[in-house]
Amino acid sequence: MVDRSFEMELDRQFSDAPILPDSDLFAGRVTDRLERGWTFRRLLIGGLGVAGGLIGGGQLLGSGLLSRLGSFTAQSDTLVKMGVAQLPAARGLTDLLSASSNLDSQVLWMSAALAALAVGLFVTRAIREI
Amino acid sequence: MAHSAAERASTHDLDLVAQAATGDRKAFGELVRRHGSAVRGLMRRMGADPALADDLAQDAFLAAFEQITEFRGEGAFQGWVKRIAARLYVRRWRRDARMDLMADPPEPEADSGLGDMGAINRIDLDEALRALSDVERVCVSLCYGGGLSHAEAAQALNTPLGTVKSHVKRGLDKLRARMAPGQTLATPESVAHG
Repeated sequence: MVDRSFEMELDRQFSDAPILPDSDLFAGRVTDRLERGWTFRRLLIGGLGVAGGLIGGGQLLGSGLLSRLGSFTAQSDTLVKMGVAQLPAARGLTDLLSASSNLDSQVLWMSAALAALAVGLFVTRAIREI
Repeated sequence: MAHSAAERASTHDLDLVAQAATGDRKAFGELVRRHGSAVRGLMRRMGADPALADDLAQDAFLAAFEQITEFRGEGAFQGWVKRIAARLYVRRWRRDARMDLMADPPEPEADSGLGDMGAINRIDLDEALRALSDVERVCVSLCYGGGLSHAEAAQALNTPLGTVKSHVKRGLDKLRARMAPGQTLATPESVAHG
């Protein structure tokens, strides 16, 4: 039967490991590997994001979404103008819309771009949380 | 929040762990600096050569960083990493098929290079561990250096609990014979029969 005091002494000696002279060097190697792994992970995520974006963009362009959006914008523009023209009291507003009709599609695209930016920020944040 | 190296050096382990859990790799680096020697030392005591000991200790710290949110602070951080490292060593050891756990322990080898220590009444743990067979050294190191229970060691080694207990007991008997105060350096014969 091994006595308890000897086991305690053994525990103590196992705990009292000598400080190795290259402990800073060892710590540096571990943190370097951590940094490398982190950098690789970021590059991988970024690369996959770019690839996914390109593929998604290509799919959108290939599906004729832009032309459909353009025709939808023109139809909406026409519809709004017709509606406003039927309101005699809103004559001034009709003039205003006529003047700014060339801005409508720009506003739409700007909104879409801002929405895409918001989605991008959300995805980035989600990846950080993961 | 950024922390300077001086601040980190005086920060408690648990605070560093909390910082590392948020992805602060410099905080984790401070933990490695503090406890790296102990983990490497355990690997060497378990029987790894210095290069392998360093590799396994690095792997253990990287694994610890990956799963640092699982560390609840119920024990010492060092003990937690040591358990990870000990399991990694056992896995490596078993993969290399360097042990037969069920085999009868070999007779202790005659000491080499210890003749000039005959007058020393007490030898240190590292010297004493050399008198143990591989499997005895691993079992004793797992339970005392790695902080595993006999059952956990048996699970890590994938061997019956009774076998691990008998290896540990034999190893402890040999260590006590060599390390007991007031005794001269044990001869192989006294170790074998002690």
